[in-house]
Amino acid sequence: MPLPETPSKKQLAWLVLNQEIRSLLLSPALWIMLIIVSLLVGYSFIQAVDLFSQASRTALSFPEMASGMNPLEGIFVPTFGAYYLSQTLLLPFVAIRLIGLDKQSGALKLLLQLPLSPFALCGLKLVAMGIVWLASLLPAALALIVWNNLGGHIYPPEIITLLAGHGLYSLTVICIAMFAATISDSLPTAAMFCLAATLGSWVLDFAASSQNGLLGTLGSLSLTNMLRQFESGLLSMTHVISFFSLGLLFFLLTVIWLHPGKRSLLKSGKSLAALLVLALVVSATQKVPQFMDVTENKRHSLNPADSRALQKLDKPLTITIHLDPQDSRLLDLKHDLLAKLARSVPTMHVKYAQTQSTGLFSASEDDNYGLIEYEYNGHHDKNYSNSQNEILPIIYNLAGLQVTPDSVAVYGGHPLVADATGSRLWFHIFLPLLFLCGALLAHRGKL
Amino acid sequence: MPELRVIGINKRFGTYQALSNVSFTVAPGEILGLIGPNGAGKSTLLECIAGLLPADSGTIKWQDRPLSLEERKQILWYQPDNILPFAEQRVAATLSFFRQIHGVSSKDLAQLVDELELPPMLAKPLKDLSKGYRRRVLLALALLSPQPLLMLDEPFDGFDLRQSLAVMDLLRDCRTGRTIILSIHQLSEAEKICDRFLLLDQSCVLGIGTLDELRKQSGLSTREGLEEVFLAIT
Repeated sequence: MPLPETPSKKQLAWLVLNQEIRSLLLSPALWIMLIIVSLLVGYSFIQAVDLFSQASRTALSFPEMASGMNPLEGIFVPTFGAYYLSQTLLLPFVAIRLIGLDKQSGALKLLLQLPLSPFALCGLKLVAMGIVWLASLLPAALALIVWNNLGGHIYPPEIITLLAGHGLYSLTVICIAMFAATISDSLPTAAMFCLAATLGSWVLDFAASSQNGLLGTLGSLSLTNMLRQFESGLLSMTHVISFFSLGLLFFLLTVIWLHPGKRSLLKSGKSLAALLVLALVVSATQKVPQFMDVTENKRHSLNPADSRALQKLDKPLTITIHLDPQDSRLLDLKHDLLAKLARSVPTMHVKYAQTQSTGLFSASEDDNYGLIEYEYNGHHDKNYSNSQNEILPIIYNLAGLQVTPDSVAVYGGHPLVADATGSRLWFHIFLPLLFLCGALLAHRGKL
Repeated sequence: MPELRVIGINKRFGTYQALSNVSFTVAPGEILGLIGPNGAGKSTLLECIAGLLPADSGTIKWQDRPLSLEERKQILWYQPDNILPFAEQRVAATLSFFRQIHGVSSKDLAQLVDELELPPMLAKPLKDLSKGYRRRVLLALALLSPQPLLMLDEPFDGFDLRQSLAVMDLLRDCRTGRTIILSIHQLSEAEKICDRFLLLDQSCVLGIGTLDELRKQSGLSTREGLEEVFLAIT
């Protein structure tokens, strides 16, 4: 046999990528996931349109209610909720095969002898999975088309942000699955490890949803909570980088632990270094928080004039709240104002006074219960209101500011009465059939 | 000058010593047989040389230059035993993948496929093949590799006598410019194809040399075969 000419790195990468895609297409788990996603997205979308239409009927009669009708929260977040389910429960079973099957079959021993670094090999596997993930967005694309044809409103920045959130969530789940497969001896063990991570994160978010302290902090780091930021349309640089870093960490751990020819001590050292570097990056981003409100009605932002004024506060603003952590007034206050203030005021401290309510309809033993105290530059004021319209003037008064709000266009909402049940055929019959045909073609080597 | 020099390889799995101070050399173009019973450490040794297992100590040199993990990819190809790579894909697709990876022409692949009598199996997934055909596919994958050192783990396992002889002819054909290390537990096959033998048992090298040299070492006459030599030495 004459001495062959070996392919370039680029050609090699292309060949391996094709091979990885071929392997994925032969995976029954992938096609089962795609069919289930199609059914779930269809169900969620049709239900969401139905509920949105019911609310829109009222909003069309009472225009002042229409401002609450935004398609992101009403249609797209519930529709993409189907992806959250599949990414949490089904995607790990597809992603685990990327490495687990190669380990089990011995193919990994051959792949590791190719002139590709473990980083490149894992990267190509990730790209292959990314292409498959894009295919899984077909039902979502169909939902967008149907919504558009029904006359529904689409605000692209919101959709792109939502997609980015699900992309990062999927990336993290895939990287966790790859790492689980790398360190596990069998596919079932890897699946258990990965599900423990994704479902554990889900449970953590649920348990910590209304808690302060350590549990609350841990809950804010859960995958579910990170995804929620994207669903709300508020992009925080810290969250984006934390989310990406978490995926990157598991990817790097996979790269580090993939090659069986390297010593465990060396791998442990590299893993620790990766963890430290990424922790430093995340903590550095927390020092300079940046936010972007991508919602059409800028519901996460104060009036631009208020934001500009609050950014000028050069002394710390301290707010002491006499409310129980479970009190709905506190939850409203946090959501409606404190979060917006935190994004505008350069230095703000929020303190929670030791207090507790005695029941929904009982009088509190503490006379201060419900009180909110404000302190700025040695001046104090207090109030029982949790309304933005009353609190902002207090703060401006303490700081000696006069603020005239900018005139902004009033968001009228996008109420729509529509019927999406006609699309059921597409989601429940045509798309699943399409995926089934894809599975058969792949099985016959024609895809 | 030897092509490959393995110096003082030690490997331990917990308290079990799998390889104990294993050293040997292989000359250019030579076929060296690693001989030993199951569990002697043959596969572990090959994996340590290939860099797929970290040796606790020892050095691998190629043409008197220590080999890093990256350099080993250019110098050697190791075909493990008992693997079923890309089992769900058609044999043709897997062979084509490795053909392109190694830059081999379609014509050369077709010739190799013919020599291994694989054409009827090309459209089937590897997992659906019999043990013998799986072996042939794995052998084809190994023979497609261009590296100057080829290491095969149990290449004759699953073949009948006629098939083994055909495979030996193939290996002899491909040895031009290549050095080959075969891990074999069937001594009759090893005797037919290998130039020298490394006898491995219970993690230690018990002897290395040609059959004549090993006969002398064990004090046996020239009529005795490798089996008798192996039994005498172990």
